[in-house]
Amino acid sequence: MASKEGGDKGKSSQGAGDNKEKRRKESILDLSKYLEKSIRVKFAGGREAAGILKGYDPLLNLVLDNTTEFLRDPDDPYKLLDDTRALGLVVCRGTSVVLICPMDGMEAIPNPFITQEG
Amino acid sequence: MLPLSLLRTAQNHPMLVELKNGETYNGHLVSCDNWMNINLREVICTSRDGDKFWRMPECYIRGSTIKYLRIPDEVIDMVKSRSRSEVSKGRGGGQNMRTGRGGNRGAFGNRGRPAPLARGGGNQGRNPQQNKNKK
Repeated sequence: MASKEGGDKGKSSQGAGDNKEKRRKESILDLSKYLEKSIRVKFAGGREAAGILKGYDPLLNLVLDNTTEFLRDPDDPYKLLDDTRALGLVVCRGTSVVLICPMDGMEAIPNPFITQEG
Repeated sequence: MLPLSLLRTAQNHPMLVELKNGETYNGHLVSCDNWMNINLREVICTSRDGDKFWRMPECYIRGSTIKYLRIPDEVIDMVKSRSRSEVSKGRGGGQNMRTGRGGNRGAFGNRGRPAPLARGGGNQGRNPQQNKNKK
């Protein structure tokens, strides 16, 4: 028991030193603001999904619940169709995440650039 | 002028970001990091074909998926003035900077010249040994 406690103390003192370095590496993305909220995620290769953010880590791995995937044109993996399929509870691999945005406030709009060009 | 210095200077400016998948994002740069990961606000996303548009209040984009960013011309003037002020503050004069840089170049040059020979010699030396070990 005594040796274990000694080991724990050693770890805690090391942890304090690590925290200083981690502050510099802190992500510019604070995913905690999206916890329990619905987010849209785009993946490398064209897959897109939306779900409620349940958890995350610094590598951008995500846990999504009630996830729906947006199905794509079989001939064009980057072209979305209107169909979706339910995936349920999902772990998203961080390295393949391309984009994250909140579903709240995201909407399809008509071409906003026409007025500027005309 | 470093690309990421320019990008940092462009914070709070509007910009266009095209991703490798062809989608473009118009928005104001909120923040960026050393991996070129970026946060945008008041974003308009344009599909690859330019026929669909989405509005989103904010979004996070992984730097490795970016093809290029278009930044307002005036930002380049701001990055120059900022780098000059940093030089004068941090290094105490331009001449010291030049000698410092020159020293680095010389050091790299000296390293670089023998390097091909050294590598060649190293390979010639190492490969037979490795082959012998394998055999």
